[in-house]
Amino acid sequence: MAPWLASMGYDQWILHLLLILPLLGVIPVVLGSAAAARRTALVVTLAELLLSLGLWWAVDTRPGTLQLTASIPWIPAWGISYAVGIDGISLMMVLLTTLLMPLCVLGSWNSITSRERGYYALLLTLLTGVIGVFIATDLFLFYVFWEVMLIPMYFIIGIWGGKNRLYASIKFFVFTMAGSLLMLVAILVFAWTVAGGTGTLSFAYQHLLDNAAVAGRSAPWLFGAFALAFAVKVPVFPFHTWLPDAHVEAPTAGSVLLAGVLLKMGTYGFLRFAVPFFPGVAMSAWVTNLILVLALIGIVYGALVAMVQPDIKKLVAYSSVSHLGFVMLGIWAATVQSLTGAMMVMIGHGFSTGALFFLVGMLYERRHTREISAYGGIARVVPVFSLLFTVVALSSIGLPGLNGFVGEFLVLLGSFKTHPLAAGIAATGVIFAAAYLLWALQRIIFNRLDQRENESLTDLSVRELAVLLPLVAGILWMGLYPAPVLRRIEPAMMRFVQTVRGPIGYMNVALRAPERER
Amino acid sequence: MTPLDLQTPLGATIALLPEVFLTLGAMVVLLVVAWRHRTAADSRLAGYLALWALVPSGVAVALLWGGGARPLGAPFMVALDEFRFVSLAVILVATAATILVSLGYLEREGLIAPEYYALILFAASGMMFLAGAEDLIVLFLGLEVMSVSIYVLAGYDRNSVFSAEAALKYFLVGAFASAFLLYGIALLWGGTGSTGLREIGARLSTGELPLLARLGLGLLLIGMGFKVASVPFHMWAPDVYDGSPTPVTGFMATGVKAAGFLALTRILFEAFPEATETWQPIVAALAIASMVLGNLVALSQRSLKRMLAYSSIAHAGYLLTALWAGTHLAAGATLLYLTAYVLTSLAAFGILGVLGRGGERDVTLDSIAGLARRRPWLSFALAVCMLSLLGFPGTMGFVGKWAIIAAVVQAKHLPLAVILVVTSLVSAGYYLPVVMAVYMREPVAAASHEAARLPRQAAFTVAVAVVVLLFFGLLPAGALSLALSTTSTLVRGALAPLAGIGR
Repeated sequence: MAPWLASMGYDQWILHLLLILPLLGVIPVVLGSAAAARRTALVVTLAELLLSLGLWWAVDTRPGTLQLTASIPWIPAWGISYAVGIDGISLMMVLLTTLLMPLCVLGSWNSITSRERGYYALLLTLLTGVIGVFIATDLFLFYVFWEVMLIPMYFIIGIWGGKNRLYASIKFFVFTMAGSLLMLVAILVFAWTVAGGTGTLSFAYQHLLDNAAVAGRSAPWLFGAFALAFAVKVPVFPFHTWLPDAHVEAPTAGSVLLAGVLLKMGTYGFLRFAVPFFPGVAMSAWVTNLILVLALIGIVYGALVAMVQPDIKKLVAYSSVSHLGFVMLGIWAATVQSLTGAMMVMIGHGFSTGALFFLVGMLYERRHTREISAYGGIARVVPVFSLLFTVVALSSIGLPGLNGFVGEFLVLLGSFKTHPLAAGIAATGVIFAAAYLLWALQRIIFNRLDQRENESLTDLSVRELAVLLPLVAGILWMGLYPAPVLRRIEPAMMRFVQTVRGPIGYMNVALRAPERER
Repeated sequence: MTPLDLQTPLGATIALLPEVFLTLGAMVVLLVVAWRHRTAADSRLAGYLALWALVPSGVAVALLWGGGARPLGAPFMVALDEFRFVSLAVILVATAATILVSLGYLEREGLIAPEYYALILFAASGMMFLAGAEDLIVLFLGLEVMSVSIYVLAGYDRNSVFSAEAALKYFLVGAFASAFLLYGIALLWGGTGSTGLREIGARLSTGELPLLARLGLGLLLIGMGFKVASVPFHMWAPDVYDGSPTPVTGFMATGVKAAGFLALTRILFEAFPEATETWQPIVAALAIASMVLGNLVALSQRSLKRMLAYSSIAHAGYLLTALWAGTHLAAGATLLYLTAYVLTSLAAFGILGVLGRGGERDVTLDSIAGLARRRPWLSFALAVCMLSLLGFPGTMGFVGKWAIIAAVVQAKHLPLAVILVVTSLVSAGYYLPVVMAVYMREPVAAASHEAARLPRQAAFTVAVAVVVLLFFGLLPAGALSLALSTTSTLVRGALAPLAGIGR
């Protein structure tokens, strides 16, 4: 850790502050005037971003284990604590969240015109919930954050969403809750089973991870319940049907956060909980085959459906299904390369899809339509917008030199070693992505300027540039020089591979990790 | 405090001080309203008198509890343990809340007949006897005192046909249930030679359960099943809940149900701890039927009041699920969930009482659309109630549900736990639309919700309930340990709540 951070005791308070600061910010937002709400929210989210940046240096990601851990008893009778910690995976997710959040506030600046106080208060609550999910190291705490963050998003979609918002919001809520309620039972059964084996009832992550082997014959059921909760969130085909509805109906910031952060909670759940707890089940042949098939269907199906969408926002929504398929493939290929790639896709997708949703939102604010056919040739009218749109779309396609390429290439490379056929099929997803995005670009930005309404479009304002440029900068940085990010992810992924590879073959000592280290 | 000899008049009186004070208070109210029963001011006076009448009873509970009152030898007729004290506290809270909510409601609806408050107090004293009974005869007396008062209260709105229907229906079905219960008590006496709960438990602990006792237990469960409105003994509940004045409905959904469940807990844990093989299948069947049917039928209700009625059937199912496990954790979970449910329902019915007029039978999702625009705090409270009933994290309802699932998981009955969470998911289908209507829809008319304003006393009640729900939702450790410590005397030989985990 950098000495200047250490001198402030940064590692002692940062995680707690990140959780509490947005909630404290809710108070002035609710009590202040409607006009001040957005300013307050911006200040709070920017403060959160600045504070969280220190984590980049403060977290020692080299051992691949959880750092900055803290644990305070919460419900002692049940072995439940308020426990947090952070490793390379969480670090990236937390930073992605704190970066996107001020941009979301800025992006909502003029588009949210009713009940502003409620809106920004919910955004801040959501921030706490999401960060909580990524740093909780107690399963009870994790579950609470996992469920609690549903509420703000439910309201954001349901109040400030589009025409069909009521249907979309309840579908989002019920789908997610259906998965997570079974996870709730699984968490309890798992903790009680482990307690039966060890004599200690505890929901602490490390305790459960160390003794997960106790689960024995109930492991497949437990894994199934965990996996269902996370698969709905990712979403893995066929649980994806809530996603297009929610993404399309949500206001711009809602879509950005859904795609940028909330979907990642699902893949994060696989990486952190479902697979490491039950590697024997997760990596067994039939589960692997099932997940790979579903991931591939997601990749190809998502891309094909995206291609035929007349609505730009829906196109971007379905492209998420496709991209998240790559992440699932990367996780189940279970090589360090594929996992690092999966993580890069998670981050990169947050940047590029987030930016795409912002761009679509900006277009919508100007013309109040998202039909692709309503546009065409607007490059001549709004050159800056078109340039940024093109860069972002290319990054989503996976053009070398931009961030999308790094992730998808690593996933394909890593999974080719273990599952060459799957990697081959997945590679077609990249081609389809090029097809649907380039085609959309062509129809929106290029072609002929044949609609009169488009002639009076205004180009991006300073505020809109302030929203987009950080994302574009991130896209370029991670495309050209991803090493600092990769360096921070890889150790956690090596540890993951050690955990899951053990039971399936050549390193069957992995479950007894302490002995091997000796 | 020295142990009280419950066989002597003095000891019994001291042990029964909470009930005695409450009954005396009810009589005072009755005397006062004999002269003062014409105007709204008289009604208010009776209401505040009734509220004050709860105070000595509450103080008596506090003194007995704080003084660590315990019986000399085995408890006789009435229990003298922490579980009784906490039960009395729950009932007193429900009664106080009902009175506070009624104050404004009765005036608004023009139900100026202040005997109402005396009946509430009599019902409450019946509940206290019911929940604290250590003997089946006392239990029956308590049940009848409670029920008779509630029959009258259900029909309190003389001008409403539905209120009259509710009273008649409740009376007929209630009398039927009492008959079952009484017959069950008689058979149990025949089978074991006693009506004392612990004595029955002691006699049954040796050897096989006699057929007579088994029949008696079955009939007892049927009788109690009627009172707590569990499927298939629930048919009366929707109509009665729907037709009664809303504060009375709230009182039935909280006080009556709480007293019933507290008594049932005591019966099953003290008299039949050895007979789990007999009652567990019955309780499990009742629980599953209540959860499934209550939640599914609630989905199709248009009226909020009927929806809450069916949801209360579902909640009876959750509570039966907790009881099923039969462990110490199960008793604690029952108490915890019951408390959460009582607080939530009090607040929910309190709010419902201002959303409509004339018994709130016609309050639908449409009529609360856009409430949040005009009444943000009321809407917030309603949303918290709905989420707590749904068992959403951050509310006490979740803590209770977590405890129930933990108890069931500990007792290794996964299907029951899965049914519980799946039916909870179904319940999202009717709780969420309420939140949705309030926050996400536009008001039907511009002047909607002008009148939806909680009177001061009701607002206080709802606010306290919501704050408590959120507080224990976030910091449940205290509530949990209290629930476990107060139920420890119910369970023989169980020292640690988590003893025998996983086995």
